[in-house]
Amino acid sequence: MKIPLSWLKDYVDFEDTVEGLADKLTFSGVEVEGIERLGGGVAGVVVGEVLAIEKHPNADKLTLCKVNFGGASEMTVVCGAPNVAVGGKYPFAPLGTALPCGITIEKRKVRGVFSEGMLCAEDELGISDNHDGLMVLDAKWAPGTALSEVMGPPETVIEVEITPNRPDCLSLLGIAREVAALYGTKVKAPDTALAESDPAAEQATSVAVEDLNDCPRYTARILRDVKVGPSPDWMKRRLEAAGVRAINNIVDITNYVMLECGQPLHAFDQKLLAEGRIVVRHPKPGEKILTLDGVERALEPQMLVIADAAKPMAVAGVMGGEHSGINETTTDVLLESASFRPAAIRSTSKKLGMLSESAYRFMRGVDAELAEFGSRRAAKLMCELAGAKLLKGVVDVRSAPKQPWTVVCRPARLEALLGVKAVPEEIAKVFESLELKVLRRSPDAIEVQVPTFREDLTREADLIEEYARIYGLKKLPPVRSMATLVPDADDKPAQAQGRLREVLAGLGLQQIMNYSFLAEKLLDLFDKDHAPNRAKLANPLTADHTTMRDALLPQMVETIGLNYSRQVSEVAFFETGRVFRLGPDGKPTEEDHVAAGLSGPVGRMGLDKFRPVDELEMFLWIKGLWEQAAAALNLRGASLRPADRPWSEPGRGMEIVVDGAVVGWLGLLSAGIAKEWRIHEPVGLLEAAAKLLVKDVEAMQALVPPPSFPSIRRDAALIVATGVRHERVLEVARAAAPAELEKVELFDIYQGKNLGEGRKSMAYAFTYRSKAGTLTDEAANGFQEKVNAALKAQLPAEIREG
Amino acid sequence: MDIKEVDGWTAQALSELAGAADGAALEALRVKYIGRNGMLPALMQGLKDVPAADKPAMGQALNRFKTGVTAAVAERKAALEAAAKAAKAGAFDLSLPGRWPRRGRLHPIQQLIDKTSAIFRRMGFTVADGPDVETEYYNFDALNTPADHVSRDVQDTFYLPGGLLLRTQTSAVQARYMESRKPPVRIVCPGRCYRRDTTDATHSANFHQIEGLYVDEKVSLADLKGDIDHFARELMGPGVKSRFRTHFFPFTEPSVEVDFSCHMCGGKGCRVCKQSGWIEIMGAGMVDPNVFKLAGYDPEMVTGYAFGMGIERLAMILFGIDDIRRLYENDVRYLAQF
Repeated sequence: MKIPLSWLKDYVDFEDTVEGLADKLTFSGVEVEGIERLGGGVAGVVVGEVLAIEKHPNADKLTLCKVNFGGASEMTVVCGAPNVAVGGKYPFAPLGTALPCGITIEKRKVRGVFSEGMLCAEDELGISDNHDGLMVLDAKWAPGTALSEVMGPPETVIEVEITPNRPDCLSLLGIAREVAALYGTKVKAPDTALAESDPAAEQATSVAVEDLNDCPRYTARILRDVKVGPSPDWMKRRLEAAGVRAINNIVDITNYVMLECGQPLHAFDQKLLAEGRIVVRHPKPGEKILTLDGVERALEPQMLVIADAAKPMAVAGVMGGEHSGINETTTDVLLESASFRPAAIRSTSKKLGMLSESAYRFMRGVDAELAEFGSRRAAKLMCELAGAKLLKGVVDVRSAPKQPWTVVCRPARLEALLGVKAVPEEIAKVFESLELKVLRRSPDAIEVQVPTFREDLTREADLIEEYARIYGLKKLPPVRSMATLVPDADDKPAQAQGRLREVLAGLGLQQIMNYSFLAEKLLDLFDKDHAPNRAKLANPLTADHTTMRDALLPQMVETIGLNYSRQVSEVAFFETGRVFRLGPDGKPTEEDHVAAGLSGPVGRMGLDKFRPVDELEMFLWIKGLWEQAAAALNLRGASLRPADRPWSEPGRGMEIVVDGAVVGWLGLLSAGIAKEWRIHEPVGLLEAAAKLLVKDVEAMQALVPPPSFPSIRRDAALIVATGVRHERVLEVARAAAPAELEKVELFDIYQGKNLGEGRKSMAYAFTYRSKAGTLTDEAANGFQEKVNAALKAQLPAEIREG
Repeated sequence: MDIKEVDGWTAQALSELAGAADGAALEALRVKYIGRNGMLPALMQGLKDVPAADKPAMGQALNRFKTGVTAAVAERKAALEAAAKAAKAGAFDLSLPGRWPRRGRLHPIQQLIDKTSAIFRRMGFTVADGPDVETEYYNFDALNTPADHVSRDVQDTFYLPGGLLLRTQTSAVQARYMESRKPPVRIVCPGRCYRRDTTDATHSANFHQIEGLYVDEKVSLADLKGDIDHFARELMGPGVKSRFRTHFFPFTEPSVEVDFSCHMCGGKGCRVCKQSGWIEIMGAGMVDPNVFKLAGYDPEMVTGYAFGMGIERLAMILFGIDDIRRLYENDVRYLAQF
């Protein structure tokens, strides 16, 4: 809301700079968002009309303008502005003018031609920092008119933001009340004394309100002999400074009074109302209205309209109708000053997509008791400025008036809540400055009566806030921060999730973050089977964000694809986030997940990166990542077993099992999906529910002392069929070996023509150790012979011992 | 054999040794001159034929030969070794790229969640958690925001099946937490929130907040100021201060907006603080008595403060991010810089 200061000063006196005022208002809850200075002009600068333009003989970008500035002769001015035009009117600084930008205009040569004055841009006049071209003035101004006349008197406008709890501040008088409280002065209310004449308004019209819940009050005054015409300049200037367009005196007065006191008003041409009367009702089925903005709007039954005897003439509290508005021929005015239920106006305004100044105020709440003041004030101005004759009295239909209420504030409570010392006298003084009536004051309690326009003050805490903001939040005493420990508070689950992220970052993965919702087709691409269990937004904003994610991998791959398209093909990412699925009851449930994605030579270093990565290598990396993460998280009871997913390449997926439950999957992305992002290299993926992965983070295992005796290693190269798996080798070896077999490590795989078709060599190191003593070579040889015999027979394998 | 001849041999040996190109050539020369079957033993053999009167002089000449050649061999050997070492060192390319497995990083939003949480944990707060999918009750009603309240209009909300919604603020955790335990309560809750905002440079429909709540006997607005001042210093630097401006939130009364003095210019005014010297960081206030009542706490027995701030906003201020969308674009070339 824009507050012209000269207008504000009609209602309240204060001694301060505009910056000082802005500061006080901002800290007390009326946030000043900007200060704008209007009007004023510059001494000596006048309206200049460009009569002719010639090219400058010595400069391409300059012109020579003949300027009439109301003086005896025309002046030739060298001008460089791109927007200068013949017949245009611009601010003209004659010789000798001192401009705010520091230039004094002298007759001087510009590229060999004398310039006798200057046509000005806004920045040169100190009006704004705009230097795009000359400041263009309205054609109506005669050359020679002082710029100060064109610009009007100087005005400072502060723009304020009013929080939703303070609808009473949506007016100049409301702000004046705040200023009075802050500066310890009094509000000067405008005059509303009326000169009325017969007949009574009641005889000239009638008002019927069908729903007193949605319209608790409707008042109508009747004015006759109205002369519609332009408003006086002072009123136009104030409206324009406040950001409202001037239309005609009657409409302007309704707007002026709304800005002044906060009561929205509407003026009907009474002669255009069927039977000249008002019916406040809900629309009938199929009713429409042509609103003042020229749009025909369909009305819904729960909306509220102001109708005449026949049809709707205005959407109550939101916008007037085209057919009953004030026009040049209007002589009889029905002045509406009413009150509507905020939620009703909010819903209507939203449905119709219309947010007028009236609707904005009504939806935040206008005090029903303000209707009379607003109506009187507007009627008075119409009599004064439009020659109107006011009929006697007011037609006032209303529900029971709201009574002021009382609230008690205990100084002890105030001290406890704010942490400041306060004496009852001072507290009472603050309340009184806000027009709260102190009914009772004791050391223990101050009881106040709250005026009806302060609906936000119903409880002690509300009064305490009033004290705090007027007393000044800057005066809060410094308090040393004390850490308070809550004995049984436990945030281990949150800490464990943090540990998971640290482990993954420590393993070289960059964390990413994607939105929790996305386009469903991306989810479909990865897994159509679970589509029925997805939670969809009831009111999505864009087609890209319609469905809650039920997995992290789709966006993980999308992210890899985005980086891939930007020529970054080597990435290792992880994301932790929530996934959402519909539960059996049809309601969304959520679960913390973790996902990882690898592409490019992420598991290699240095020069090795420049070889292509094959599927097996990528698979072993994503598997290795899982093994390392599980080890770092101290995870027990976890295993992997082959299982494909809809998104995985056949035979390249495994499920992650923890304590017998499948908690996730890892594997290679199917080539079909990868193609969507033009990725033609293997992509390793992992996704799992996070909770069980961190279950053992805090657990400590029983410690095992390091072995006391040395070990012995025996190597064996097995030549086997290519179909023989590593896990089978381990199985056979372990079954055959004694307890002394400590570990079996694969150290080479080789496939070559010399081995023959369908065969490969797998080289293993077997480590033996005894807990009882140092092993002899003979003993180790014996163990290995047993193992070799089993491998030979059961795989089967040929063995070359090392 | 005369002295001149011996000295001649000495000169020749020294000259040849000086020219020995490598260890093998040097060894050959050593063998040739002072080896067991080399020139020196042969010359020594010849000494017995030298007249007695000449023997001392000849002995000296032979000694010159022996020590001169021995020293020259040692010297040349050292020189060759030094040269070999230098050559080996020179062949070692210190400028090749280093090798170690990859490094990873946390997302900047995560870094700030972790950093702010850590500061509050040090101040005795516990990290609490709540669901993203909330009921109308916990997101609005329990926070003193009834259905027809204006502030429900201010926040546009995403709805889900079953009358549920995506929480618009982490404050939703407050009531849940208080319902399940007795005071004192001292928690922070970082988490994801959602608003039906069109995404642009400064708005994201999906964002993060961290919420704080402290409830105990006799918690005051001045305590909030003290704790927030401490947080401001820990987060942004030793000289940073906070200030309160009156504001409105349905769930606190009194309510304040909190500015921190600009960490870049120290409050003098700069581009970061838009010349004001202050940066708006959070909303806060004293827990509204209605919120206590709904959570089953007696507002006569306890008081409390609550605060909440946007993590993305903090990231933009602290890291100088110009467009919030970059945080969710996940271009690794950008993320790896944090």
